[in-house]
Formats: sequence, C-alpha cells, structure tokens
Amino acid sequence: MSSGFKRDRHGNAKKFDGPKPAAKPAVRNAYTPMFENLRDELDAHHDRRDRIGKASRDITALSKKIIFSLQRVRKIDQDLPSDIQAEIDSRLTEISKLLASIAPEVQGINRYRYARSLVCLEELVEALTFAHYIKTQTLIGYDELCLVVEDLTRRGTVFEDAVMADADEQQPAAAEAKSEINPDAPAISLTDDDYVYGLFDLSGEMMRFATTTSALTGRMASGDTGDNQRTIVEDMHDLGSFFEMLPLRSGNRITWEKKLEVMRQSVRKVEKLGYDRMIRGSERPEGWVPDLSSADQLDPEE
Amino acid sequence: MATPLIDPELFSQLKTKIEADSLVKKDLDQIVDDLNQHVAYTQGVLSRIHSTPRSKYPELFVQIEDGIKKQIEAVAKLAVTASQHPYYKYNYKWTRTVQDSVSTVVLCAWLGGLGSETKPGAVGRLLTIEDIGEIYQVPVNLKDSDAFHITIEEYLLGLINIIDELSRLAMNSVTLGDNALAVQISGFIKDLHAGFQVLNLKNDILRKRVDSIKYAVKRVEDVVYDLSLRNLIPAKTE
Repeated sequence: MSSGFKRDRHGNAKKFDGPKPAAKPAVRNAYTPMFENLRDELDAHHDRRDRIGKASRDITALSKKIIFSLQRVRKIDQDLPSDIQAEIDSRLTEISKLLASIAPEVQGINRYRYARSLVCLEELVEALTFAHYIKTQTLIGYDELCLVVEDLTRRGTVFEDAVMADADEQQPAAAEAKSEINPDAPAISLTDDDYVYGLFDLSGEMMRFATTTSALTGRMASGDTGDNQRTIVEDMHDLGSFFEMLPLRSGNRITWEKKLEVMRQSVRKVEKLGYDRMIRGSERPEGWVPDLSSADQLDPEE
Repeated sequence: MATPLIDPELFSQLKTKIEADSLVKKDLDQIVDDLNQHVAYTQGVLSRIHSTPRSKYPELFVQIEDGIKKQIEAVAKLAVTASQHPYYKYNYKWTRTVQDSVSTVVLCAWLGGLGSETKPGAVGRLLTIEDIGEIYQVPVNLKDSDAFHITIEEYLLGLINIIDELSRLAMNSVTLGDNALAVQISGFIKDLHAGFQVLNLKNDILRKRVDSIKYAVKRVEDVVYDLSLRNLIPAKTE
C-alpha cells in the first residue's frame, strides 16, 4: 500500500492522482426510473441490431466467396465440378450456422425492423440464383428460393445441435434423433426486395461469367443438352426485358433506377460480346481475356 | 422446347406484389396527410400559449383538445391500415407525423390540459408512454405481435420537441408576468435533460436530437438567472 501522493511543480499535492474517483452517482429525479426503463429497452434493441449486423457481414463475405468459386466454372446447364461444389457446400454450411444464430431475432415484427441490417440476404440471393443458373440455365423462382433459404436456416440449427451432442458422448441416440431438420425451428424469410435486388446483381455476375467463359473457351456459354442450345446472350436479353417490364417501384425509385441502369449496361456488354464472337470470333487468339477492370464501373458518359 | 430462363408465372407474381405495394403506399400517404393536417392545426393553436396568460388556458384547452380528438381519430384509421402489413415495412411513412402528434398531446397535458377524472390536469404533469397509449387507444412498444403501435423512439423524440417549445414559453411567460411558470419550466427541462443522460445513445437521430436539449437548458437558465438577479423569483408557496 502506498501512502505517498504526487506533487505538482509547486510541491502541492496533485488534486487528481491515480485512478479517477468513482463518478458521482447521477442525480435522481422523478423521471429517472422511467428513463432507466426506456434505456433498457433501447439497449436491447441496439444489441440485437449489432449481433444481426455482425452475422450479416460474415454472410455477405461468404456469399461473395461462393460467387468467386462459381466464376471459375466454364460451362452452364450441367452439374458443377466436384471441387467447386465442395467449396460451395462448405461455405453454405457456415452460412447456415450464421443464419440459424440470428433467426430467432428476426421473427415477426423484427423481420422488417432489422431489414437494413440484413442486407446480406441480397448477396445470398445473388449467390444462390447464380449457382442455380449455372447448374440449370434457369432462374429460380421467388417461392422456391424462399424455401431454400428457410431450409438453410433450419439446417443451421441442426449443425449446432450436432456439435453440442458430440460433446456429450453419453447420449449418441439423442444426437441421432436431433440430426433431423426441425420444421418448427425459426426460419428467415426473404422479402420481395431481397429477391428482386439480388436478381439485379445476378445480371452483373452473368455478364462477368459470359465474358470470361467466351474468352477462355472460345465460345459463348450455352445450353448443351439436345434441344437446348440457348446462349447466355439470349438469357441476358430475357432477364433485361423482365426487369424493364416490371412496374417502377414507388418509394425507393432512385435505387431501383440505378440498379436498372447498371443492368442495362451488363446486357449491352454481353450482346457486344455475342456480336464480336459472330464477326471475328476466329481471329481472336485463344486465351485472350478482355480487360474487365473498367467494365465494372458504370460509365456516366455512356 | 427447352425450359425457358424465366417462368412466366414469376413475372406476374412479382408484378402483382409490386403493384400491391404501391397501392398500400398510396393509401398510407393519404391517411398520414390527413393526420398531418390535424397535427398542424393543433400546433397552431398551441402556439398561442406564448401570448396567453395562464388564467386563460382553459379556453385554449377547449380548442386544443378538439384538435387532439381529431388526431386520435386519424391515428385510429392509420392503425387499422398499418396493422394489415408488417409494421416496420412502412413505419417510415408516418413516424415523423406520429412524433409531432405525440408532442402536441404531451405539451397540452404538461400545461394542465387533458385532465380526466382519475388523472386531473395539472401544470407540470408529464405523460408517460403508457399514458400516451391510453389516450390514443393504441398499444405502445409492441414486441410480441406485428401491429401498429407507438414506439419508444417516437415518444422520446416527441418529448424533445416539447422541451424546445417550453424553453420558448419560459421567456414569454416572464413577459406576461408569470415568473413562477418560467421557474417551473426550468426545473422540468433540467430534470428531463438529466433523464436523457441516463440513455445509452447510438449515433442516430435520437442522439442528435438529445444533443440539442442543452441549448434549451441554457436558454431557461439564462431566464432564471435574469430573474434571480433582480430578486424576481417568487417564493415557493406550500
């Protein structure tokens, strides 16, 4: 125990030395209890939003990695190469766990309350629709995709239960029983916005995919099976018209129009690609890759 | 014929959803607009407190409470429509107006209006969020079901609105010779300021608005200082 104290340059004891004295208890008045209640409510809300936001950032990063893996595929309308499928599966497992961890927090009224913290769903839609497109050359519907995401969330609870059951070796039977997906577990639902904005981003990925595959394989990606010879150029046109025909959203008009414009650019790039292939496809040296770095940005001059 | 890229069903499904969404927004706009008019009228009548001596408040309350009654009716309409949809999907459409509406009610009650048999009106009465729910006949801070309600944020922002108005009244009440009211307002604003310090605020709109309270505190302190300098503060009556 020290009994000394610090002095200032005049030799007088310093007023505030060492750890600061504990803050004076706040003055209480008639309204303090009310504000304390409200504080607890607000704190719960902020904490929840933080937890959702953190999981959301991780899910976004994992979804982007899935998209990168998919961009390494060269053919559409057939199963993914096994190594890429394995990469994607392991990412999806992680996403499942994250979704399951926040699912109870975004039920009912909280689904839209935290919609802005859940932007990851847009990215996830992009990854899932892109994977579906490469495998089947079709666009997965809204209802179908909702089921996929709900299923992903519920599988996440199983993984967690399984881990907990593993630790508890005494009851292997319980672990066995739990490995079935519980249909009553809370699931995360997709909103229409998640789906539609995810699709907008899909068009960008398809453009990138079309560009790399046509440069590396020397032909435009297209269906392979019998009567399906549709190329990705046609698909881009279909997707483009699909968006052009949808009624304009009232409200978030600016985001909508921006996304629409980016999508138009993507369609343009792919049709230019189709034209190039047709006109001088054979003249291009094999393995030539166009510079994509500037193609990523929307040029306001155009 | 191979399967097309896009199932035609999907298009009509999304189109229907978007059209329905636009309709809801149009409906809400109209309802909120209606509420806004009643809020603006009530605020207008309330602004007369700055030139009305306290003895004449009862006459003013008749008009104010009439405006509030119309607001309550409009909120009831809003609640019916809003409860048909996820609350937070469209909440942004009305939250500002509801805040303003709440603040007219809180201010009126603070000045001594909106008395009932169980809760008589008195100057300095602060309505809690639960009182607000009772007056509007709507739930507050709803967590377990997805329907219309008044949120904590709306209530707190409504309180901050009246702090500003009261700091103005402190000055004007002195002009009208009612020094006791100025002193009472000063005490109230300081207490509320202390109350807001209890909250853990994030960097959001509430934080911004709470930061503005200190200017109101400063304004009323200046008024009280001027009064005390001249020995004009009335002695406390029992």
